[in-house]
Amino acid sequence: MAFRDHREFLEVLEREGELVRVTQEVDWDLEVGAIGRRVYEREGPCLLFEKIKDYPEGFRISNGTLGTWSRVALALGLRKDASVREIYQVYEERIDRRIAPRIVKKEEAPCKENIMIGDEVDLFKFPSPMIHEGDGGRYIGTWDIVICKDPETGWINWGMYRFMVHTKEWLTGWPQTTSHLAMIFNERYLPKNQPMPIAIVIGSDPLSHLIATAPLKPQESEVEYAGGVRGEPVELVPCETVDLLVPAHAEIVIEGEMMPDKIAMEGPFGEYPGYRSGTMCRGVAVKVKAITYRNNPILTMISLGIPPDDSSIAASLTAAVAMKKGLLRRGVPVTDVYVPPEGVTHLVIVGVKKGGTEVARKVLEYFTARRVMTNKHIVVDEDVDVFNMAEVLHAFATKCHPGRGILYEWYEGRANSLTPFYSPEERKRLKGVSVVFDSTWPPEWSQDIVPIKASFKTIYPPEIQEKVLKNWEKYGLK
Amino acid sequence: MAKEWQTFVRKFEDMKEGEVELFIKDLTPGPRKYDTKHVRAKVARRKEDLPEGDILWIRSESGLRFSEPWYIKILEELPPWVPGRPWEDLFEVMEKTKRE
Repeated sequence: MAFRDHREFLEVLEREGELVRVTQEVDWDLEVGAIGRRVYEREGPCLLFEKIKDYPEGFRISNGTLGTWSRVALALGLRKDASVREIYQVYEERIDRRIAPRIVKKEEAPCKENIMIGDEVDLFKFPSPMIHEGDGGRYIGTWDIVICKDPETGWINWGMYRFMVHTKEWLTGWPQTTSHLAMIFNERYLPKNQPMPIAIVIGSDPLSHLIATAPLKPQESEVEYAGGVRGEPVELVPCETVDLLVPAHAEIVIEGEMMPDKIAMEGPFGEYPGYRSGTMCRGVAVKVKAITYRNNPILTMISLGIPPDDSSIAASLTAAVAMKKGLLRRGVPVTDVYVPPEGVTHLVIVGVKKGGTEVARKVLEYFTARRVMTNKHIVVDEDVDVFNMAEVLHAFATKCHPGRGILYEWYEGRANSLTPFYSPEERKRLKGVSVVFDSTWPPEWSQDIVPIKASFKTIYPPEIQEKVLKNWEKYGLK
Repeated sequence: MAKEWQTFVRKFEDMKEGEVELFIKDLTPGPRKYDTKHVRAKVARRKEDLPEGDILWIRSESGLRFSEPWYIKILEELPPWVPGRPWEDLFEVMEKTKRE
Protein backbone atom coordinates (compact mmCIF):
# COMPACT_ATOMS: atom_id res chain seq x y z
CA MET A 1 0.00 0.00 0.00
CA ALA A 2 1.33 3.39 -0.91
CA PHE A 3 1.91 6.18 1.54
CA ARG A 4 -0.86 8.72 1.21
CA ASP A 5 1.20 11.66 2.32
CA HIS A 6 4.37 12.96 3.94
CA ARG A 7 2.96 12.55 7.45
CA GLU A 8 2.04 8.90 7.02
CA PHE A 9 5.58 8.19 5.81
CA LEU A 10 7.08 10.07 8.76
CA GLU A 11 5.08 7.82 11.12
CA VAL A 12 6.62 4.75 9.50
CA LEU A 13 10.07 6.28 9.66
CA GLU A 14 9.55 6.92 13.36
CA ARG A 15 8.47 3.33 13.99
CA GLU A 16 11.52 2.09 12.10
CA GLY A 17 13.90 4.30 14.09
CA GLU A 18 14.55 6.47 11.04
CA LEU A 19 13.10 9.74 12.37
CA VAL A 20 14.13 12.10 15.13
CA ARG A 21 11.73 14.80 16.31
CA VAL A 22 13.66 17.91 17.35
CA THR A 23 11.46 19.53 19.99
CA GLN A 24 13.97 22.14 21.12
CA GLU A 25 13.45 25.50 19.40
CA VAL A 26 15.70 25.90 16.38
CA ASP A 27 16.41 28.88 14.17
CA TRP A 28 15.28 28.72 10.53
CA ASP A 29 18.24 31.00 9.83
CA LEU A 30 21.15 28.56 9.28
CA GLU A 31 20.63 26.37 12.37
CA VAL A 32 18.20 23.88 10.77
CA GLY A 33 20.40 23.78 7.68
CA ALA A 34 23.52 23.11 9.73
CA ILE A 35 21.84 20.36 11.76
CA GLY A 36 20.47 18.76 8.60
CA ARG A 37 23.83 18.90 6.88
CA ARG A 38 25.70 17.31 9.77
CA VAL A 39 23.10 14.56 10.02
CA TYR A 40 23.46 13.81 6.29
CA GLU A 41 27.22 13.61 6.67
CA ARG A 42 26.74 11.03 9.43
CA GLU A 43 24.09 9.19 7.38
CA GLY A 44 21.68 9.90 10.21
CA PRO A 45 17.89 9.98 10.46
CA CYS A 46 15.20 12.07 8.87
CA LEU A 47 14.55 15.12 11.04
CA LEU A 48 11.32 16.81 12.02
CA PHE A 49 11.91 20.24 13.55
CA GLU A 50 8.82 20.95 15.62
CA LYS A 51 9.53 24.39 17.08
CA ILE A 52 10.86 27.06 14.78
CA LYS A 53 12.05 30.45 15.99
CA ASP A 54 9.86 33.39 14.90
CA TYR A 55 7.02 31.07 13.84
CA PRO A 56 3.82 29.86 15.50
CA GLU A 57 3.57 26.44 17.04
CA GLY A 58 2.67 23.85 14.43
CA PHE A 59 4.76 25.27 11.57
CA ARG A 60 7.40 22.62 11.09
CA ILE A 61 10.36 21.71 8.87
CA SER A 62 11.51 18.23 7.87
CA ASN A 63 14.88 17.28 6.41
CA GLY A 64 16.09 14.12 4.75
CA THR A 65 12.89 12.25 3.86
CA LEU A 66 14.75 9.95 1.42
CA GLY A 67 18.30 10.76 2.49
CA THR A 68 19.43 7.14 2.87
CA TRP A 69 18.86 3.90 0.97
CA SER A 70 17.00 2.54 4.01
CA ARG A 71 14.41 5.27 3.72
CA VAL A 72 14.07 4.79 -0.04
CA ALA A 73 13.51 1.08 0.63
CA LEU A 74 10.79 1.87 3.17
CA ALA A 75 9.14 4.33 0.76
CA LEU A 76 8.96 1.50 -1.79
CA GLY A 77 7.47 -0.82 0.82
CA LEU A 78 10.64 -2.93 1.12
CA ARG A 79 12.63 -3.97 4.18
CA LYS A 80 14.81 -1.13 5.38
CA ASP A 81 17.92 -3.31 4.91
CA ALA A 82 17.14 -4.09 1.25
CA SER A 83 20.28 -3.89 -0.90
CA VAL A 84 20.79 -1.10 -3.41
CA ARG A 85 20.53 -3.72 -6.17
CA GLU A 86 17.13 -4.85 -4.83
CA ILE A 87 15.92 -1.26 -4.62
CA TYR A 88 17.01 -0.67 -8.22
CA GLN A 89 15.30 -3.87 -9.38
CA VAL A 90 11.98 -3.05 -7.71
CA TYR A 91 12.00 0.51 -9.03
CA GLU A 92 12.93 -0.70 -12.53
CA GLU A 93 9.99 -3.15 -12.52
CA ARG A 94 7.50 -0.57 -11.29
CA ILE A 95 8.59 2.35 -13.47
CA ASP A 96 7.18 0.60 -16.53
CA ARG A 97 3.68 0.74 -15.06
CA ARG A 98 1.55 3.83 -15.38
CA ILE A 99 -1.47 4.55 -13.24
CA ALA A 100 -3.54 7.63 -14.03
CA PRO A 101 -4.14 10.02 -11.14
CA ARG A 102 -7.48 10.30 -9.38
CA ILE A 103 -9.09 13.71 -9.08
CA VAL A 104 -10.64 14.43 -5.71
CA LYS A 105 -12.94 17.16 -4.48
CA LYS A 106 -11.61 20.18 -2.67
CA GLU A 107 -13.31 18.95 0.54
CA GLU A 108 -11.20 15.77 0.39
CA ALA A 109 -7.94 17.64 -0.07
CA PRO A 110 -6.05 18.47 3.14
CA CYS A 111 -3.88 20.92 1.21
CA LYS A 112 -6.95 23.20 1.09
CA GLU A 113 -7.31 23.48 4.88
CA ASN A 114 -5.90 27.00 4.68
CA ILE A 115 -5.97 29.30 1.67
CA MET A 116 -4.26 32.63 1.03
CA ILE A 117 -5.26 34.35 -2.19
CA GLY A 118 -4.20 37.59 -3.87
CA ASP A 119 -3.29 40.31 -1.40
CA GLU A 120 -3.32 37.82 1.47
CA VAL A 121 -0.33 36.00 0.00
CA ASP A 122 2.67 36.26 2.28
CA LEU A 123 5.54 33.82 1.77
CA PHE A 124 7.11 34.98 5.04
CA LYS A 125 4.28 33.25 6.93
CA PHE A 126 6.25 30.02 6.34
CA PRO A 127 9.56 29.18 8.02
CA SER A 128 11.52 28.92 4.77
CA PRO A 129 15.04 28.08 5.86
CA MET A 130 18.22 29.97 5.15
CA ILE A 131 20.02 26.72 4.46
CA HIS A 132 23.67 27.67 3.98
CA GLU A 133 25.60 30.74 5.06
CA GLY A 134 26.08 32.82 1.93
CA ASP A 135 23.09 31.55 -0.03
CA GLY A 136 21.19 34.17 -1.99
CA GLY A 137 18.12 33.84 0.20
CA ARG A 138 15.64 31.55 1.90
CA TYR A 139 14.86 28.50 -0.20
CA ILE A 140 11.26 27.35 0.25
CA GLY A 141 11.62 24.93 -2.68
CA THR A 142 14.33 22.31 -2.37
CA TRP A 143 12.56 18.95 -1.90
CA ASP A 144 9.61 20.08 -4.00
CA ILE A 145 7.56 19.15 -7.05
CA VAL A 146 7.24 21.91 -9.62
CA ILE A 147 4.26 21.43 -11.92
CA CYS A 148 3.55 23.04 -15.28
CA LYS A 149 1.56 22.07 -18.35
CA ASP A 150 1.94 22.12 -22.10
CA PRO A 151 -1.31 23.85 -23.11
CA GLU A 152 -1.27 22.32 -26.60
CA THR A 153 -0.66 18.66 -25.82
CA GLY A 154 -1.86 18.54 -22.21
CA TRP A 155 1.49 17.15 -21.07
CA ILE A 156 1.84 17.76 -17.35
CA ASN A 157 5.43 18.02 -16.29
CA TRP A 158 6.75 17.47 -12.78
CA GLY A 159 10.30 18.44 -11.92
CA MET A 160 12.34 19.31 -8.88
CA TYR A 161 13.84 22.79 -9.06
CA ARG A 162 15.07 25.25 -6.47
CA PHE A 163 12.87 28.24 -5.54
CA MET A 164 13.81 31.13 -3.28
CA VAL A 165 11.64 33.62 -1.43
CA HIS A 166 12.25 36.95 -3.14
CA THR A 167 9.56 39.10 -1.48
CA LYS A 168 6.28 38.28 0.27
CA GLU A 169 4.62 37.57 -3.07
CA TRP A 170 7.46 36.83 -5.48
CA LEU A 171 9.63 33.77 -5.85
CA THR A 172 12.71 33.42 -7.96
CA GLY A 173 13.96 30.07 -9.10
CA TRP A 174 16.42 28.22 -11.22
CA PRO A 175 15.04 25.41 -13.31
CA GLN A 176 17.92 24.68 -15.68
CA THR A 177 17.61 26.03 -19.22
CA THR A 178 17.81 22.42 -20.43
CA SER A 179 14.88 21.30 -18.24
CA HIS A 180 11.48 20.22 -19.49
CA LEU A 181 9.96 23.20 -17.70
CA ALA A 182 12.17 25.47 -19.80
CA MET A 183 11.23 23.54 -22.93
CA ILE A 184 7.50 24.04 -22.31
CA PHE A 185 7.93 27.69 -21.39
CA ASN A 186 10.16 28.53 -24.36
CA GLU A 187 7.96 26.72 -26.89
CA ARG A 188 4.48 27.57 -25.65
CA TYR A 189 4.49 30.71 -23.52
CA LEU A 190 7.48 32.88 -24.38
CA PRO A 191 6.56 33.31 -28.08
CA LYS A 192 3.18 34.70 -26.98
CA ASN A 193 4.74 36.70 -24.14
CA GLN A 194 2.36 34.90 -21.78
CA PRO A 195 3.01 33.99 -18.16
CA MET A 196 3.12 30.25 -17.49
CA PRO A 197 0.94 28.84 -14.69
CA ILE A 198 3.07 26.97 -12.21
CA ALA A 199 2.55 25.16 -8.91
CA ILE A 200 5.27 24.44 -6.40
CA VAL A 201 4.30 21.54 -4.19
CA ILE A 202 5.99 21.02 -0.86
CA GLY A 203 5.61 17.88 1.23
CA SER A 204 3.81 15.33 -0.91
CA ASP A 205 4.09 11.54 -0.52
CA PRO A 206 7.72 10.35 -0.78
CA LEU A 207 7.47 8.54 -4.12
CA SER A 208 5.91 11.53 -5.88
CA HIS A 209 8.97 13.56 -4.92
CA LEU A 210 11.23 10.72 -6.03
CA ILE A 211 9.57 10.64 -9.45
CA ALA A 212 9.92 14.41 -9.77
CA THR A 213 13.69 13.76 -9.97
CA ALA A 214 13.31 11.16 -12.74
CA PRO A 215 14.62 12.12 -16.18
CA LEU A 216 11.61 10.99 -18.20
CA LYS A 217 11.12 11.80 -21.86
CA PRO A 218 9.21 14.87 -23.07
CA GLN A 219 5.43 14.36 -23.16
CA GLU A 220 5.63 11.73 -20.42
CA SER A 221 3.66 12.82 -17.35
CA GLU A 222 5.47 12.02 -14.15
CA VAL A 223 2.24 11.78 -12.16
CA GLU A 224 1.29 8.58 -14.02
CA TYR A 225 4.71 7.08 -13.31
CA ALA A 226 4.37 8.12 -9.67
CA GLY A 227 1.10 6.19 -9.60
CA GLY A 228 2.85 3.19 -11.13
CA VAL A 229 5.72 3.19 -8.65
CA ARG A 230 3.29 3.74 -5.77
CA GLY A 231 0.95 1.02 -7.05
CA GLU A 232 -1.95 3.42 -6.51
CA PRO A 233 -3.09 6.59 -8.21
CA VAL A 234 -1.84 9.90 -6.90
CA GLU A 235 -4.81 11.93 -5.68
CA LEU A 236 -4.91 15.36 -7.28
CA VAL A 237 -7.02 18.43 -6.73
CA PRO A 238 -7.43 21.54 -8.89
CA CYS A 239 -5.53 24.69 -7.92
CA GLU A 240 -7.42 27.79 -6.81
CA THR A 241 -6.02 30.29 -9.27
CA VAL A 242 -4.23 28.41 -12.05
CA ASP A 243 -5.30 25.57 -14.35
CA LEU A 244 -3.17 22.86 -12.77
CA LEU A 245 -3.74 19.79 -10.63
CA VAL A 246 -1.66 19.24 -7.51
CA PRO A 247 -1.28 16.39 -4.98
CA ALA A 248 -4.27 16.72 -2.65
CA HIS A 249 -2.36 15.59 0.43
CA ALA A 250 0.57 17.97 0.03
CA GLU A 251 1.65 20.09 2.95
CA ILE A 252 1.96 23.39 1.06
CA VAL A 253 1.06 24.37 -2.51
CA ILE A 254 2.24 27.64 -4.00
CA GLU A 255 0.32 28.70 -7.10
CA GLY A 256 1.74 31.34 -9.39
CA GLU A 257 2.77 32.49 -12.82
CA MET A 258 6.24 32.39 -14.25
CA MET A 259 6.77 35.72 -15.97
CA PRO A 260 7.91 36.01 -19.60
CA ASP A 261 9.12 39.59 -19.20
CA LYS A 262 10.41 39.99 -15.65
CA ILE A 263 13.49 38.74 -13.85
CA ALA A 264 15.02 39.30 -10.44
CA MET A 265 17.82 38.21 -8.19
CA GLU A 266 18.17 34.47 -7.61
CA GLY A 267 20.88 32.43 -5.96
CA PRO A 268 23.57 31.53 -5.39
CA PHE A 269 22.77 28.29 -3.62
CA GLY A 270 24.79 25.36 -2.29
CA GLU A 271 23.74 22.80 -4.87
CA TYR A 272 23.62 19.05 -5.31
CA PRO A 273 27.16 18.56 -6.68
CA GLY A 274 28.32 19.65 -3.23
CA TYR A 275 29.39 23.21 -4.02
CA ARG A 276 27.99 26.69 -4.35
CA SER A 277 29.50 27.42 -7.71
CA GLY A 278 28.17 30.66 -9.10
CA THR A 279 24.84 29.82 -10.70
CA MET A 280 23.25 33.12 -9.82
CA CYS A 281 20.96 35.75 -11.31
CA ARG A 282 20.14 33.74 -14.44
CA GLY A 283 16.80 32.40 -13.26
CA VAL A 284 13.09 32.97 -13.48
CA ALA A 285 10.58 35.08 -11.52
CA VAL A 286 7.23 33.79 -10.30
CA LYS A 287 4.39 36.01 -9.08
CA VAL A 288 2.55 34.05 -6.42
CA LYS A 289 -1.24 34.13 -6.73
CA ALA A 290 -2.22 31.79 -3.93
CA ILE A 291 -0.83 29.54 -1.22
CA THR A 292 -2.83 26.63 0.15
CA TYR A 293 -1.61 24.55 3.08
CA ARG A 294 -2.50 22.00 5.67
CA ASN A 295 -3.00 22.76 9.33
CA ASN A 296 0.38 22.54 11.08
CA PRO A 297 2.25 22.43 7.75
CA ILE A 298 5.57 20.68 7.34
CA LEU A 299 8.01 22.40 5.00
CA THR A 300 10.22 19.76 3.39
CA MET A 301 13.86 20.79 3.17
CA ILE A 302 17.04 19.22 1.92
CA SER A 303 20.18 20.80 3.27
CA LEU A 304 21.96 20.07 0.01
CA GLY A 305 25.68 19.56 -0.18
CA ILE A 306 28.23 16.83 -0.36
CA PRO A 307 26.66 13.37 -0.65
CA PRO A 308 24.76 11.54 0.56
CA ASP A 309 21.52 13.47 0.77
CA ASP A 310 18.04 13.12 -0.71
CA SER A 311 19.15 14.54 -4.02
CA SER A 312 22.15 12.28 -4.58
CA ILE A 313 20.26 9.19 -3.40
CA ALA A 314 17.08 9.88 -5.41
CA ALA A 315 18.99 10.76 -8.56
CA SER A 316 21.17 7.68 -8.13
CA LEU A 317 18.06 5.56 -8.51
CA THR A 318 15.88 7.45 -10.96
CA ALA A 319 18.68 8.57 -13.27
CA ALA A 320 20.40 5.19 -13.40
CA VAL A 321 17.26 3.27 -14.35
CA ALA A 322 16.38 5.85 -17.03
CA MET A 323 19.94 5.61 -18.38
CA LYS A 324 19.80 1.83 -18.52
CA LYS A 325 16.60 1.95 -20.55
CA GLY A 326 18.01 4.64 -22.83
CA LEU A 327 21.23 2.73 -23.46
CA LEU A 328 19.31 -0.46 -24.24
CA ARG A 329 17.20 1.49 -26.75
CA ARG A 330 20.45 2.56 -28.41
CA GLY A 331 21.56 -1.02 -28.74
CA VAL A 332 24.19 -0.97 -26.00
CA PRO A 333 24.35 -4.46 -24.42
CA VAL A 334 23.86 -3.14 -20.90
CA THR A 335 23.66 -5.40 -17.88
CA ASP A 336 23.32 -2.72 -15.20
CA VAL A 337 23.86 0.99 -14.66
CA TYR A 338 24.79 2.46 -11.31
CA VAL A 339 25.00 6.13 -10.43
CA PRO A 340 26.94 6.15 -7.15
CA PRO A 341 25.55 8.85 -4.84
CA GLU A 342 29.12 9.91 -4.08
CA GLY A 343 29.46 10.85 -7.75
CA VAL A 344 26.46 13.25 -7.59
CA THR A 345 25.23 12.29 -11.08
CA HIS A 346 28.58 13.33 -12.55
CA LEU A 347 29.87 9.75 -12.50
CA VAL A 348 28.08 6.77 -14.01
CA ILE A 349 29.04 3.09 -14.02
CA VAL A 350 27.81 1.08 -17.01
CA GLY A 351 28.07 -2.70 -17.03
CA VAL A 352 28.00 -4.35 -20.46
CA LYS A 353 27.88 -7.92 -21.77
CA LYS A 354 30.46 -7.07 -24.38
CA GLY A 355 32.72 -4.01 -24.31
CA GLY A 356 35.31 -2.43 -26.56
CA THR A 357 35.70 0.88 -28.35
CA GLU A 358 32.57 0.58 -30.46
CA VAL A 359 30.37 0.03 -27.42
CA ALA A 360 32.18 2.75 -25.47
CA ARG A 361 31.53 5.20 -28.31
CA LYS A 362 27.82 4.31 -28.31
CA VAL A 363 27.75 4.97 -24.58
CA LEU A 364 29.38 8.37 -25.12
CA GLU A 365 26.93 9.22 -27.91
CA TYR A 366 23.98 8.39 -25.68
CA PHE A 367 25.21 10.52 -22.81
CA THR A 368 25.98 13.56 -24.97
CA ALA A 369 22.97 13.48 -27.32
CA ARG A 370 20.86 16.13 -25.60
CA ARG A 371 20.95 17.85 -22.20
CA VAL A 372 24.08 16.49 -20.56
CA MET A 373 23.89 16.05 -16.81
CA THR A 374 26.77 13.56 -16.44
CA ASN A 375 30.40 13.78 -17.50
CA LYS A 376 32.38 10.69 -16.44
CA HIS A 377 31.33 7.19 -17.41
CA ILE A 378 33.14 4.00 -16.55
CA VAL A 379 32.20 1.04 -18.74
CA VAL A 380 32.92 -2.35 -17.19
CA ASP A 381 32.48 -5.97 -18.20
CA GLU A 382 29.59 -7.98 -16.80
CA ASP A 383 31.78 -9.84 -14.31
CA VAL A 384 32.15 -6.57 -12.40
CA ASP A 385 29.40 -5.76 -9.91
CA VAL A 386 28.56 -2.17 -10.82
CA PHE A 387 27.17 -1.58 -7.32
CA ASN A 388 30.51 -2.53 -5.77
CA MET A 389 32.76 0.48 -6.18
CA ALA A 390 35.82 -1.49 -5.03
CA GLU A 391 35.34 -3.84 -7.99
CA VAL A 392 34.66 -0.91 -10.32
CA LEU A 393 37.80 0.92 -9.25
CA HIS A 394 39.85 -2.25 -9.68
CA ALA A 395 38.53 -2.69 -13.22
CA PHE A 396 39.12 0.99 -14.03
CA ALA A 397 42.67 0.88 -12.70
CA THR A 398 43.61 -2.34 -14.46
CA LYS A 399 41.59 -2.45 -17.66
CA CYS A 400 41.25 1.13 -18.87
CA HIS A 401 44.03 1.81 -21.39
CA PRO A 402 45.13 5.45 -20.92
CA GLY A 403 45.83 5.75 -24.64
CA ARG A 404 43.07 3.73 -26.30
CA GLY A 405 40.46 3.44 -23.60
CA ILE A 406 39.55 7.08 -23.01
CA LEU A 407 37.00 8.63 -25.35
CA TYR A 408 35.70 12.15 -24.91
CA GLU A 409 33.53 14.70 -26.65
CA TRP A 410 33.06 18.46 -26.32
CA TYR A 411 29.67 20.15 -26.84
CA GLU A 412 28.07 23.52 -26.33
CA GLY A 413 24.60 24.68 -25.29
CA ARG A 414 23.63 21.57 -23.34
CA ALA A 415 26.14 21.06 -20.55
CA ASN A 416 25.23 21.06 -16.87
CA SER A 417 26.25 24.48 -15.61
CA LEU A 418 26.34 23.19 -12.03
CA THR A 419 29.46 21.16 -12.87
CA PRO A 420 32.01 22.63 -10.48
CA PHE A 421 35.09 22.23 -12.69
CA TYR A 422 33.69 24.24 -15.60
CA SER A 423 34.97 27.80 -15.86
CA PRO A 424 32.50 30.69 -15.50
CA GLU A 425 32.61 31.14 -19.28
CA GLU A 426 31.91 27.44 -19.90
CA ARG A 427 29.00 27.54 -17.46
CA LYS A 428 27.54 30.55 -19.17
CA ARG A 429 27.77 28.96 -22.61
CA LEU A 430 26.77 25.52 -21.32
CA LYS A 431 29.97 24.26 -22.86
CA GLY A 432 31.13 20.94 -21.57
CA VAL A 433 32.96 17.73 -22.16
CA SER A 434 32.12 14.14 -21.35
CA VAL A 435 34.42 11.15 -21.14
CA VAL A 436 34.04 7.40 -21.24
CA PHE A 437 36.63 5.22 -19.56
CA ASP A 438 36.47 1.92 -21.38
CA SER A 439 37.39 -0.53 -18.64
CA THR A 440 36.51 -3.65 -20.61
CA TRP A 441 38.69 -6.16 -22.41
CA PRO A 442 38.92 -5.49 -26.15
CA PRO A 443 36.45 -7.87 -27.85
CA GLU A 444 39.00 -8.58 -30.57
CA TRP A 445 41.31 -10.26 -28.06
CA SER A 446 41.08 -14.02 -28.32
CA GLN A 447 40.16 -15.81 -25.13
CA ASP A 448 43.61 -17.34 -24.73
CA ILE A 449 45.24 -13.92 -24.24
CA VAL A 450 42.65 -12.29 -21.98
CA PRO A 451 44.17 -11.95 -18.49
CA ILE A 452 42.47 -14.12 -15.92
CA LYS A 453 41.19 -12.28 -12.89
CA ALA A 454 42.83 -13.63 -9.76
CA SER A 455 39.79 -13.77 -7.53
CA PHE A 456 38.46 -16.70 -5.54
CA LYS A 457 35.57 -17.13 -7.94
CA THR A 458 37.60 -16.87 -11.13
CA ILE A 459 41.05 -18.43 -10.66
CA TYR A 460 40.19 -21.66 -8.83
CA PRO A 461 38.39 -24.67 -10.25
CA PRO A 462 34.82 -25.25 -8.99
CA GLU A 463 35.75 -28.35 -7.03
CA ILE A 464 38.39 -26.44 -5.05
CA GLN A 465 35.98 -23.58 -4.39
CA GLU A 466 33.38 -26.08 -3.20
CA LYS A 467 35.87 -27.86 -0.94
CA VAL A 468 37.09 -24.61 0.59
CA LEU A 469 33.57 -23.36 1.23
CA LYS A 470 32.53 -26.68 2.73
CA ASN A 471 35.47 -26.75 5.11
CA TRP A 472 35.55 -23.05 5.88
CA GLU A 473 34.55 -23.32 9.51
CA LYS A 474 36.76 -26.37 10.01
CA TYR A 475 39.72 -24.15 9.10
CA GLY A 476 38.76 -22.08 12.14
CA LEU A 477 37.39 -19.28 9.95
CA LYS A 478 34.06 -17.51 10.17
CA MET B 1 22.15 50.87 15.37
CA ALA B 2 22.54 51.07 11.61
CA LYS B 3 20.34 48.85 9.53
CA GLU B 4 22.15 46.13 7.59
CA TRP B 5 21.63 45.01 4.02
CA GLN B 6 23.29 42.51 1.72
CA THR B 7 23.79 42.37 -2.02
CA PHE B 8 25.45 40.04 -4.50
CA VAL B 9 27.84 40.76 -7.37
CA ARG B 10 29.61 38.35 -9.69
CA LYS B 11 33.03 39.56 -8.54
CA PHE B 12 33.87 42.01 -5.77
CA GLU B 13 35.50 44.31 -8.34
CA ASP B 14 32.09 44.72 -10.04
CA MET B 15 30.84 46.82 -7.11
CA LYS B 16 31.16 50.52 -7.94
CA GLU B 17 30.78 53.55 -5.73
CA GLY B 18 28.17 56.22 -6.48
CA GLU B 19 24.56 55.98 -7.58
CA VAL B 20 23.58 52.44 -8.52
CA GLU B 21 20.61 50.16 -9.04
CA LEU B 22 20.71 47.14 -6.76
CA PHE B 23 18.73 44.25 -5.34
CA ILE B 24 19.34 44.22 -1.60
CA LYS B 25 18.36 41.82 1.16
CA ASP B 26 17.17 43.13 4.51
CA LEU B 27 19.24 41.57 7.30
CA THR B 28 17.01 42.76 10.15
CA PRO B 29 16.43 39.74 12.42
CA GLY B 30 12.92 38.29 12.51
CA PRO B 31 10.55 36.38 10.24
CA ARG B 32 11.02 38.84 7.36
CA LYS B 33 14.80 38.66 7.33
CA TYR B 34 16.20 38.39 3.78
CA ASP B 35 13.19 40.15 2.20
CA THR B 36 14.38 41.76 -1.03
CA LYS B 37 14.19 45.33 -2.22
CA HIS B 38 15.09 46.61 -5.64
CA VAL B 39 16.43 50.12 -5.18
CA ARG B 40 18.25 53.03 -6.65
CA ALA B 41 20.80 53.91 -4.03
CA LYS B 42 24.02 55.69 -3.30
CA VAL B 43 26.79 53.39 -2.14
CA ALA B 44 30.22 54.11 -0.73
CA ARG B 45 33.13 52.06 0.41
CA ARG B 46 33.94 54.23 3.41
CA LYS B 47 31.50 55.36 6.09
CA GLU B 48 32.96 58.88 5.97
CA ASP B 49 31.69 59.19 2.41
CA LEU B 50 28.13 58.23 3.40
CA PRO B 51 27.82 59.02 7.11
CA GLU B 52 24.04 58.69 7.15
CA GLY B 53 24.16 55.36 5.28
CA ASP B 54 23.16 51.87 6.36
CA ILE B 55 25.63 48.98 6.33
CA LEU B 56 25.83 47.01 3.08
CA TRP B 57 27.52 43.62 2.98
CA ILE B 58 28.68 42.40 -0.38
CA ARG B 59 28.89 38.79 -1.47
CA SER B 60 30.34 37.30 -4.64
CA GLU B 61 28.59 34.80 -6.89
CA SER B 62 30.05 31.96 -4.82
CA GLY B 63 28.47 33.53 -1.71
CA LEU B 64 31.81 34.65 -0.26
CA ARG B 65 31.38 37.80 1.86
CA PHE B 66 33.72 40.74 1.33
CA SER B 67 35.69 41.29 4.49
CA GLU B 68 34.63 44.90 5.08
CA PRO B 69 31.14 46.37 4.79
CA TRP B 70 30.18 49.12 2.37
CA TYR B 71 27.55 51.77 3.08
CA ILE B 72 24.24 52.45 1.37
CA LYS B 73 21.61 55.16 1.27
CA ILE B 74 18.39 54.18 -0.47
CA LEU B 75 17.20 56.92 -2.81
CA GLU B 76 14.21 55.21 -4.38
CA GLU B 77 12.43 51.91 -4.09
CA LEU B 78 11.69 50.24 -7.44
CA PRO B 79 9.42 47.29 -8.40
CA PRO B 80 10.87 43.97 -7.17
CA TRP B 81 11.93 42.93 -10.68
CA VAL B 82 13.51 44.31 -13.83
CA PRO B 83 12.20 43.84 -17.37
CA GLY B 84 13.91 40.84 -18.89
CA ARG B 85 13.45 37.35 -20.25
CA PRO B 86 13.75 34.30 -18.06
CA TRP B 87 17.35 33.01 -17.75
CA GLU B 88 18.81 36.29 -18.99
CA ASP B 89 21.79 37.51 -16.98
CA LEU B 90 20.28 39.98 -14.51
CA PHE B 91 23.47 42.02 -14.22
CA GLU B 92 23.87 42.32 -17.98
CA VAL B 93 20.23 43.39 -18.33
CA MET B 94 20.62 46.04 -15.62
CA GLU B 95 23.86 47.29 -17.16
CA LYS B 96 22.24 47.47 -20.60
CA THR B 97 19.25 49.38 -19.19
CA LYS B 98 21.62 51.81 -17.49
CA ARG B 99 23.48 52.51 -20.75
CA GLU B 100 20.20 53.15 -22.58
